Amino acid sequence: MYNVWDDALAKIQQKMNPSLFGTWFKDTSIISNENGIITIGVKNTFFIKQLKNKYYDIISDALKKSNVDFKQIEFEVKSTNKSKVQPREVTGETIVSTPKGTEAIIETIKKNYSSQGNGLNAKFTLDNFVVGSYNDLAVGVAKNIIKNPGKSINPFFLYGGPGLGKTHLIQAIGNEILRQNPSFKVKYVPINHFYSDLIDSIKKNRGKDFYDKYTKLDCLIIDDFQLIVNKNASQEEFFNIFNDLFLAGKQIIVTSDRLPSQIKSVDERLASRLTWGGAYDIQLPSFEDKCAILRAKADFSGAEIEDEAIEYIAENVKTNIRDLESEFSKLLVMSEIRGLSPLELINSGSTTINHPGKPKQTTSKQIIEKVAKEFNITSKDLCGQSRVSNIKTARQVAMYLLRHELSCSYPVIGKEVGGKDHSTVMHGIEKIEKDIKLDFNLREQIESIKEKIYG
Amino acid sequence: MEIEVTQEKLSKALNNVSRIAVGKVTLPILNNVLIRVLNNKVSLVTTNLDMAIIDYLPVSDAKDGVITVPAKLLAEFVSNLPRGEKINITEKNNKVTITAGKYKSTINGSPADDFPELPEIEEKKAVIYKMSIDEFKNGISEVMVATSNDMTRPALTGVYFNTEDKTLAVAATDGYRLAEKILVKNAESEVGVIVPASSLQEVLRSINDEMDEIEIAFNEDLVRFRMGEVEIMSKLIDGSFPEYRRLIPKDNTIKLTLSREELIRVTKLAALFAKSVNGAIVCEAKKPNHFSIKSVASELGENDSSIETEVENEGKVNLNSRFLSDALNALEEKDIIFEFSNSISPVVLKNKKSNTYTHIIMPLNS
Repeated sequence: MYNVWDDALAKIQQKMNPSLFGTWFKDTSIISNENGIITIGVKNTFFIKQLKNKYYDIISDALKKSNVDFKQIEFEVKSTNKSKVQPREVTGETIVSTPKGTEAIIETIKKNYSSQGNGLNAKFTLDNFVVGSYNDLAVGVAKNIIKNPGKSINPFFLYGGPGLGKTHLIQAIGNEILRQNPSFKVKYVPINHFYSDLIDSIKKNRGKDFYDKYTKLDCLIIDDFQLIVNKNASQEEFFNIFNDLFLAGKQIIVTSDRLPSQIKSVDERLASRLTWGGAYDIQLPSFEDKCAILRAKADFSGAEIEDEAIEYIAENVKTNIRDLESEFSKLLVMSEIRGLSPLELINSGSTTINHPGKPKQTTSKQIIEKVAKEFNITSKDLCGQSRVSNIKTARQVAMYLLRHELSCSYPVIGKEVGGKDHSTVMHGIEKIEKDIKLDFNLREQIESIKEKIYG
Repeated sequence: MEIEVTQEKLSKALNNVSRIAVGKVTLPILNNVLIRVLNNKVSLVTTNLDMAIIDYLPVSDAKDGVITVPAKLLAEFVSNLPRGEKINITEKNNKVTITAGKYKSTINGSPADDFPELPEIEEKKAVIYKMSIDEFKNGISEVMVATSNDMTRPALTGVYFNTEDKTLAVAATDGYRLAEKILVKNAESEVGVIVPASSLQEVLRSINDEMDEIEIAFNEDLVRFRMGEVEIMSKLIDGSFPEYRRLIPKDNTIKLTLSREELIRVTKLAALFAKSVNGAIVCEAKKPNHFSIKSVASELGENDSSIETEVENEGKVNLNSRFLSDALNALEEKDIIFEFSNSISPVVLKNKKSNTYTHIIMPLNS
């Protein structure tokens, strides 16, 4: 049908002044051809009379020449929903009613606050934990522990920055152990709760009860261990409980944002014991990991979001997974409210979403300063010729950051750090890339510099 | 063709119709005004193929005829003639001669055959409403502020004329705010059409003090406004308007009565400090009698102004100051009602006494 009209249009065009043709025949089409009546759709009602009264013959000729059989030609305004009633539209219902995406988010929030007395939240499972290169080792260990609580890796010391999913992972372990061994006594407790619990028991003169409560457990999960700083009493109590549980072959799981040896005022004996089973970390997720996390979250909550929008969030949130998820939720809510798809919302530039991780205009000078400060040297030292190992490492870290954070070219980086050859720069960056995988301290240092740059 | 008409009348009519006869390069005839004389009635017609404006001039002893001439040129020529002058227009061989006392000019016209034929409304099949011109003008201007100019969502670039429970209402929204006004309370016939905001703008511009009633006629594709000597026709927007009635929250927990004047002042003050944050201001109701608006510009400083009013429930909401100003300017009474429930619920603004106008603003993400 459309081909016939295109054919006819070509014939009409030959007979008309191009500007007239452009005005009157643009956006026309054949809507129907029934019982010998051809209906031609036009842009709006102002076109009907003109075509009918002035161009009827031309149209009729052209159609005949295109071998179309008809008795009559009618004209009608093209319309997606003719008539004067109002069906649905996106903006409408979404503004007040709670839409699907939002509902799911609210549901999640609600469930997060429900607890079962053992501190565990059933919401956290391994099924909804997205595994990527940044956390696969920790997840592997977790699975081993679930299979053999207390017998494989004990204690399990997990560390990493805030909002990377440590709590999720250890809660999932607790839930899973409990599911497979319903008779087990599992307790999840953040260290500050442990502390206040202890104070409480001392006040009420029930130190024994407190001690019994914890030593009877089959699995003790301690969160945010770094908060134990300067709390000597609880440290001692924890050390005793730790020893008892450990000797009895019970599972102990501890998380912290840094290694025990880096926490001030933690007793050396305790620090070394905590890492007997090894220290496992969760790193910052890569771009791909972040995309995978968001996609999983979207699928889980049933929200519709374009890949580009996910990539946009993943690209712009550089801090941690918690921020990533909060930006994601915000975007979904906004998009429901505005009646735009998440991507349209981003493209419209009208998102009120802020990106905590978005770099403030960072310059190479700032990076060099921050690195120098972290290594306790001056920028001048860093950009000098010294080959003292500390300064050299700082220089290489600066090169690494200039490359990865600002995408500088090797020659430019060489110039920035005091006129080094591009091959020196390449070597330096490769060295850091390699070392970062082996050296916890170096990685911590680099993360802390990054935080300062973006913070 | 021959007519004689006073400068004032002709100039006014030409200025009115020539507004839409500009800038059409593809079809030059659209830059012309059609002058038709029939039975001692002159009609001046222009169209841009989205709408048409027709002004009627009553004359006497005129000779029938029809011609088109460049609208802007004719309008400017006539408006520069001295006031009170009698103007004589004649046409011969597509040349239009305009004479006024010692002023005379001849303009090359084009035959009326080239001018597009305008659509018509069949009165029998049309839905027709009549109302006072003031009610119409106020109602339309009050909702027009909320129309969108985002051409990718055409349905929001117009004003939605619709009936429910025998009331005719007009509504507009851009997705961030919504305005509704009830125009006619005992409407017999039903309608649900979107009229382009640009056409309504022309209708509002064409309204003058001598008019007292407007007649609006709809068919499926067309709307026609008739008031005084002016008739405006416009296409309708093809698309569906959101079911906006469902967006209006019914039971808000926080209801405040505020002086409109005071609130306008406080909003303006807050807006000064809200420029760097896209106009975001924080409105807060505090017991027992405190309504405050705050804004913070990290570099400039901050503002915190308040109004005394009875507060039963407390709450806080972030709004765009421009949207709030627009809404307050659209409201008219001395006292207004400001309602909301929490920081994510829409804010509802109304006049205290009359309940025909409702304005809703979506809160900003805090």
